[in-house]
Amino acid sequence: MIRLQLKSIASVEDAWSMLQTAIGVEFGTLPPYLYAMFSIRRGENDAAFGRIKSILMQEMVHMCLACNILNALGGQPRLTPPVYPGPLPGDIGPPGGQPLIINLLPFSQKAMWQGMQIEQPESPPDFPIQTLMLRATQAAPQTVTIGQFYDALDAFLATLPPESWIPGRNQIDDSQFFSGQLFPINSYDDAHRAIQDIVSEGEGAKDDPLDFQNELAHYYRFGEVYHDKVLTKSAEPPGYTWGPRPLGVDWSAVYPAIENPGTHDFSNDPPAARAAQAACNEAYSRMVDELQLAVTGEQGRLGNAVRAMFDLRMAAYAALTTPLADPAYVAGPSFLYTPTSGGTY
Amino acid sequence: MSVLETPRILFSGEIDWDPIVTNNYDDFYNELDSETIFPTVAERVKAFRQEAIAAVRPPKINWNPHGTHRSNFYNTEISGADLGGGVVNTDAFVGSPANFRGMLVDLEPYGAFTSQLFFDALSFGIEGGCRIVAPRSSRFSARYINFSRYLGKDKFRAGVASVVWQSSFAKETLTIDAFNSDVLQKLREALKADDVAGLTVQWNTYRTIYFNDPSYTQDNLKPPEQLIADLNGGGFQPNPARSRVVGVIGLWRRNEPANEPGDRTLLVSGNNSVSTAHARVTGSSLTLDLSNSISETGTDLQKQDLGALNVVAVPSSGNPVTLGTLTYPQYDKQAYLATSGIVTIPLTADGAKLATEGALQLRDSQGNVLLEETDLRAVPLVQNLYLDEGQTGMAVFQVYNRGVPAGEGISVTIAVMSADGSTILTSFALTTAADGTVSFPVPGLQGSITAYVAIPGPNPQLPADGINPPVNTYMYVRVLAADSTLAALPPTWDNVYRHVLSNWKAMAPCMDNWLDLESEQQVRAYGSLIRKLTSPSAFENFRYMPVTRDLTAGARTLLYNFLGEVPEQSRAAALAPDTAKAPEGVNFAKLSRNHRS
Repeated sequence: MIRLQLKSIASVEDAWSMLQTAIGVEFGTLPPYLYAMFSIRRGENDAAFGRIKSILMQEMVHMCLACNILNALGGQPRLTPPVYPGPLPGDIGPPGGQPLIINLLPFSQKAMWQGMQIEQPESPPDFPIQTLMLRATQAAPQTVTIGQFYDALDAFLATLPPESWIPGRNQIDDSQFFSGQLFPINSYDDAHRAIQDIVSEGEGAKDDPLDFQNELAHYYRFGEVYHDKVLTKSAEPPGYTWGPRPLGVDWSAVYPAIENPGTHDFSNDPPAARAAQAACNEAYSRMVDELQLAVTGEQGRLGNAVRAMFDLRMAAYAALTTPLADPAYVAGPSFLYTPTSGGTY
Repeated sequence: MSVLETPRILFSGEIDWDPIVTNNYDDFYNELDSETIFPTVAERVKAFRQEAIAAVRPPKINWNPHGTHRSNFYNTEISGADLGGGVVNTDAFVGSPANFRGMLVDLEPYGAFTSQLFFDALSFGIEGGCRIVAPRSSRFSARYINFSRYLGKDKFRAGVASVVWQSSFAKETLTIDAFNSDVLQKLREALKADDVAGLTVQWNTYRTIYFNDPSYTQDNLKPPEQLIADLNGGGFQPNPARSRVVGVIGLWRRNEPANEPGDRTLLVSGNNSVSTAHARVTGSSLTLDLSNSISETGTDLQKQDLGALNVVAVPSSGNPVTLGTLTYPQYDKQAYLATSGIVTIPLTADGAKLATEGALQLRDSQGNVLLEETDLRAVPLVQNLYLDEGQTGMAVFQVYNRGVPAGEGISVTIAVMSADGSTILTSFALTTAADGTVSFPVPGLQGSITAYVAIPGPNPQLPADGINPPVNTYMYVRVLAADSTLAALPPTWDNVYRHVLSNWKAMAPCMDNWLDLESEQQVRAYGSLIRKLTSPSAFENFRYMPVTRDLTAGARTLLYNFLGEVPEQSRAAALAPDTAKAPEGVNFAKLSRNHRS
C-alpha cells in the first residue's frame, strides 16, 4: 500500500501542507489510471474500462474536494505534475520498505496491482482515531495509509475554530460537472463530509468493500479486474468472495503500449509518433494549467480543463494507434508537462 | 399499473438534465424541416454559436448551449420495499444505488409535452450484490406533466412542473440477483407468472432548479453573466438543471401500458391543485399513486396541507361511501419520500366490493371532490413516433375501462392537433376492435409534427384549449423531411459539411469534445464509427447520432455517400406497414404546417 508521511499538525499551515500532499496524491493517481484505461482497445474490455473510468472520475472529485478544503482554510492549491516513474507526493513507502514507485503501465494485471497498492486500506487499522489527536501534535513523523492520513487531518480540522473557515473562497461545486459529488467547503462539517467521502470511495468501510453509497471502493474495483472475478456477496464470513463469476477481462485486448513513455527516447521514432506525443503533452499541459486556474478561483476554467481532457483522450488514441520505430509497439501519453501560454503554472 | 401491486420497490434521489435547448427557439431551428437556421454571414457556424450564447440572457434564456442531452441519476438509491405489509427499509436491497444514464430529447423541440429518455439499460444495485439489471425494451416517455405542482410564490422558472416517466422491461431480458433480499426473491418469483410480462419502472421528477440557483425564479430573472462569460471563454461549459426524483419498480402485467400509467384513473375535478392519480384495488386494499398529485408549497418542499383526504366510492346507485382517510402525515414530505407517493388504504370486505364496483373519488374534509374516476382511457402503444417522409406508420390506442382492456364497440374520437398541441386541426371517430384498440395510419407526407389526442366514449370533450397533459392521453408523430435534394448532391466534403455536419457543429458545441466535425480528416478517420452511430438501427441507443434524432434520410444518404457507405433501410421503413393508408381527404401534415405558418 501507499504510505504517506504524517507530520505533526499544530497549525493551519501544517494542515495546508497536508492538504497540499493530499492534492498531489490525488492528482498523481490520474496519469497511471488514465494510461491503463486509454490503452484498452476501444470497444473491448467494457467491464474493466468502466471500473477504471469510475475510479478516475472519483479521483478527480477527490482532488477538487481537497483543493476546496485548502481554499476554505485560506491556502493556495498547487498542482505539481508528477514524473513517472516516480513516487507520489509524501510517499515514503511501507515501513522498512522501499517507496512505492508509480509507473505508467498499459492495461495489465501489473497495472491493476499497482492500483490496488495505491488504494489498499489498512486492515486492521494500526493508527486508531482515538490516538490521532495525541500523535498529531507529536514531532516524530508517522507513516500512514491514505485513509489514516485523511483521518488525522480530519481530527485536526475538527479542532479549528469556526472562523478558520472562509465561506465561498475559490470553491468548485457541481454546477457543471460531477452532480452531487463536488460541493463547496464552508465549514468543518463540509470538510468532514468531504474527507469521509474520499476515504470511503477509496478504501470502503472497515471490513466492508462498499463505500458510503454502497458502490465498491476503488481497491476492490481494481481487485475485480486484477482477479478477473466479480466480488460477490456470500453468506459465509467474511461476507464476500472473489467470483465465481468472471468479470470477463481480456488481457490481450490492449494496444501494445510501452511502459513509462516519459523515459522513452522518441527521437528515432517516426514523425507521426513524435507528433502524437507532442499532441498528448500539449493537451495534458493545457489541462494542468486550466485546472490550476480552476482550483484557485477562476470560474469557467474547469470547463476548459475538461475540454483539454477530451483533447488528451483523442490525442492518446491517436498515439496508441501510431507505431513506434519498432512497429510492434506504440506509446500512450507520456504526461510530460510544459507550461502553456494560457496557464500560470 | 402494477407498480401498485406488491412486491414493489421504491427509490428516491436526484436527476440532472443537460439538454441543449438552442433548438427550442424558432429563430435558431425549424422543427418541421429539421433545419438549423444559420445567420447569413461567412462564418455561419461561429456566428450561430455566438448568437446562441447571447440568447442565454432574458427574455429568451437559452440556458444550456453547451449541453450534452445527458441525464443521470445521482444520490439515488433504493429507499424501501413493500412486500404487502407496508413499506420496510430493512430489506437487504435498501440503500443500493440506482443507476440511470439517458439522453433527454424532445420529439417536438419547441414544446414541453414530448420529452423522452433514450437509454441502453437501467440498473439498481451493483454486480456481485443484490441487483436488477434491465436492458431497454422501450425508451422512457414523459407524460402527465403537472404544471401546478409547485405552489410557492418563488416559482422556479419552468421548474414548477412535475413529470411522470415510465418504461417497462421484458422479463426475458432482466437480470435479478436476489441474494438475501426478500423483495428481490419475491419479485423474481412473481415474474414467473404467465401474465407478467416483466417489470415497470416509473418515476416522478419535480422541483427543477436551473443555473444551480434556487433563487433563479420567474420573478427574478437575473442575467446569468457568469455563464455567458464562461461560454465565451472557451472550453466546455455545460449548465445542467436538476430535479428531485421518487420512483417505483413493480410488475408489468400483460395488456398493461408500458410507457405511461394504466390502472384506474382519477382526474382532477374542478379548479384545485391536486393532479391526476391512479388507483388499484387488490384483495383487501386500495393503493393510490399520488406521486404526481400533491403540490409542494415552498423551497423546503413541504407538501400542501389539504387536511384529511377521504377516499370515496360512489356506487352506481346509492350514496358515496368513505373507504378510508389519509391524514396529512400520510402524504406529507416525509411520507412522500418514504413511499414514493404511493399510499395504501386497507379495506373491509364491503369496502373492497364498493371500491371495485363504484367510482373512486378523492375528497377533502369539507366534501369537495378533488379527483374523480373516469372509466375510459385510451393509451397509445407508442407515445412518440418518428417517421421518414414517404413512410406511413400506424397509431394504436388501447382503450382501458377502469384499468382493464376494453372490448369492442367503444367510440374513440381522435383530435388531430397542431405541433404545439394548442389547436385542433381536425377530428375523426373510430370504434374499438375486439381487443379494445383503435388504430389508424399516420402518413409521413412531409416534414411535420402532429399530435393525436384520443378521447374515448360518447360525448367526447375535445381539447379545445389545447392538450392538457394531466387529463389527455396523446401520441406525437414527427415526420422527418425526405431532403431528397440533399441525397442527390455530389458527396463532396463541402456539401456534407455544409448540409449535414455544420448543423451539428453549430447546434452541439459539445461535439468538439469527441470529434472536430469541421475536419475532413477526422471525419474520414472516424467514418466507420460515425456510420455506426448514425445507423437507423441504432436509433434507440444512448449513443445514437445526432442525439436530437432529426437526421433526415437525404442528409444521411449524403453523409454515407461521402463516407463511401450504402445507407441501411431506414428505421421508419422497417416500422411502417406498407398497406397503411391515410384516411381519405385528410392531410394531417399539411394541416399542421398551415397552422404554424
